[in-house]
Amino acid sequence: MALLSRNADRIFWAARYLERAEDTSRLVQEFGELFDDMPSDDPNENAFRWAPLLAVCGSREFLAREASEREVVDALVCDPETEGSVAQCVAAARSNLRTTREVLPREAWHAVNDLSMFVEAEGARARDRRFRGHVLGRVANDSRRLDGILTSSMNRDAAWQMWRMGRYLERADMTTRVVGVRAAVLMAQAAKPDEPRDPLRYDEVQWMGVLRSLSALQMYQRSTRGPIEASTVVQFLLFDAGFPRSVRFCLDEIDRSLDQLTRTDSVRAAVREARDALMSTMATTTDGSDLDQAMDWVQSLIGKVNGAITDRYLSVGAH
Amino acid sequence: MTVDVDELLTDDGAPRPAATALWELLDELGPEEILARQQATELDILTMGITFTVYSDGENIDRAWPFDVVPRIIPGDEWNQVQLGLHQRLRAVNMFIDDLYNDQRIIAEGVFPADLLEESVNFRPECVGFHPKFGVWAHISGSDLVKDDDGTFYVLEDNLRVPSGVSYVLENRAVTKRAFPELFGKNQIRPVDSYTDELNKVLSSLAPDGVIEPTIAVLTPGIFNSAYFEHSFLAQRMGAELVEGGDLVVGDDDCVYMHTVEGRERVHVIYRRIDDLFLDPEVFRSDSLLGVSGLMRAWKAGNVGIANAPGAGVADDKCVYAWMPDIIRFYLGEEPKIANVPTYRCMYDDEREYVLEHLDELVMKPANESGGYGITIGSRATEEELTACAQAILDDPRNWVAQPIINLSTVPTLIDGEMQSRHVDLRPFILTGEHSYVTAGGLTRVALKEGSLIVNSSQGGGSKDTWIVDDNGGWNGPPPQTQSQAQGSLDVGPEGIG
Repeated sequence: MALLSRNADRIFWAARYLERAEDTSRLVQEFGELFDDMPSDDPNENAFRWAPLLAVCGSREFLAREASEREVVDALVCDPETEGSVAQCVAAARSNLRTTREVLPREAWHAVNDLSMFVEAEGARARDRRFRGHVLGRVANDSRRLDGILTSSMNRDAAWQMWRMGRYLERADMTTRVVGVRAAVLMAQAAKPDEPRDPLRYDEVQWMGVLRSLSALQMYQRSTRGPIEASTVVQFLLFDAGFPRSVRFCLDEIDRSLDQLTRTDSVRAAVREARDALMSTMATTTDGSDLDQAMDWVQSLIGKVNGAITDRYLSVGAH
Repeated sequence: MTVDVDELLTDDGAPRPAATALWELLDELGPEEILARQQATELDILTMGITFTVYSDGENIDRAWPFDVVPRIIPGDEWNQVQLGLHQRLRAVNMFIDDLYNDQRIIAEGVFPADLLEESVNFRPECVGFHPKFGVWAHISGSDLVKDDDGTFYVLEDNLRVPSGVSYVLENRAVTKRAFPELFGKNQIRPVDSYTDELNKVLSSLAPDGVIEPTIAVLTPGIFNSAYFEHSFLAQRMGAELVEGGDLVVGDDDCVYMHTVEGRERVHVIYRRIDDLFLDPEVFRSDSLLGVSGLMRAWKAGNVGIANAPGAGVADDKCVYAWMPDIIRFYLGEEPKIANVPTYRCMYDDEREYVLEHLDELVMKPANESGGYGITIGSRATEEELTACAQAILDDPRNWVAQPIINLSTVPTLIDGEMQSRHVDLRPFILTGEHSYVTAGGLTRVALKEGSLIVNSSQGGGSKDTWIVDDNGGWNGPPPQTQSQAQGSLDVGPEGIG
């Protein structure tokens, strides 16, 4: 049965919002845990240490800003009014799936409705560090639960491909953001050896944090069997063919979804362009110079993929 | 002062035969456990996202569906009679509508007054001369029934346009099964689940000739409609598309298409859940954003089936109701098998005289007002009000009908953790196509305020599961089949389930 363009739009965006909620949750959780390992008495440093999170989820300008933990957690998690917060993403995913209930297996709606009620009732408790893991863990787990329900009980029809493309596109975008902001900052710091800190100890912990925020630490270790080293980490996150959060993997999966759809030409071209651009950034990953700009570029091409999908499949009367 | 009649309990508080098993279980469970089960169903309703939308303070609020865990029980043989009556009624109603849009035999023969039709706001001149498949216009209808002190079910009104509530019949059953698993399986409670399948069959039968596997779409006004949950539910259960006006387009070939990721795809049957007047801006209200331009053209060309047919609402005008017994006799030559609330039409001399003599026992209603305006309740009116009402009737007899006061039956309901009796009504759903189908029971709505007769969920009413229980001594089928000894003994080990 053919999929209504309007339903395609809602499923695609439900997938993007849910992936964003999951990724942001993991990021915030990992960030808090990272600071537990790196206590600091320096009020100056404390004022700025949460800013990179805002930068990952928003724009790099936030890096130069003072931001309290409370403020950042509010903006990224608890506040349903803030664009892109976990609370808002979950609510948006719910309202998109609420209008597509007839397309997805029933349990999928129950899962997202359940999560939405939880976040509405308990989301604000993420401000409290002791409870934060519970809230964020639930979001990440339920997001994956939903994926599991669909994977095991949904027809491999056009609606499924919209879901997949939404998930992978959002995931690719998030990985480029993490690499473009956090990895770029870390590599730039490492390039300045006169900084008064113990680079080895901190770097390793920080890079582990980056990997963890993308659920990548264990798979990185299995895959490379080597030490945690900056350029290997970045290359793993961008180019690995087998890790499901690497940007390359995500783009390849979108390409595979296109194999199952009709009238793919313009979308396929945009995916190829983004993938070629990604592979051409290899040189920037060895020393981190221009890594941030390279990621901006890739991100803008991922945006073009989104535009091509929208024009072809999600707009009513698309041709 | 009338005495309420309870459907589950006799006057001395003993359970009626069909309710015995339920009452024994409730006794055994005790108040705390019953309350716990009520709370569990409320949680189910929340997590399953069973909602209805109310408009309040300028906002649409999605509310959890209000539900009372104590079911309403109707004996099977009693229900069989109601079903027969509803089949009959809808058969006659559809013949009536088809007649009104074609030969108007019933008017020519003086049974139905011509001027009533002329004044009808739901008559659609655009439909004149059309014969839908099987001569059926109202494919899906919901008739509101009440049970009076005398134990009779009366039809209070027929809803022939876009009646809603059937999804809650199915959902109420789903949560009740979880609440009282002890009772299902032991008692012969008629299942309700087949409704969507029957609906699917009726809708499929409306497809243009030669279409084997029709594409069916449920046309909804959208998420802000109070019945959106139901639109989505029905589409989901039937594997149909849920569409909004903007998803559809009528092509140059007068066929209906929907916009899909693969381009345009033909739609063969539309179950519309928007009012006639919004269906097609080309023909009806030109400012409608909900409908589809050209839909009427496509329908009249036989390229798409529409349920309910545009114009079907002409038969649920309030004034038509009073003629329903005559309509049944006229088309079927039978006496009505389910009662209308007796309705006296003041335009007829003998009926008017009766009304004027019995003002204090009747409710007088102006035929052209809705929402309870201008109603005089005889038993509560002062002498002056009755005189004024009598004068109004004499001045314009055509505009007045009168009915006896019907007292709604009650069913025990959990209020603040205690069983209290509350008034109920019932909306069964009737499907009519080539054949017809009546739901086993229907949607029971309950007025949660003591003594209140207002059952609408938007005004604090609740709902109950409705059980049609057959009394044949419980389940008597063959014992369940088990694995044979030879297979069962194979290597099961100490933790096996064999």
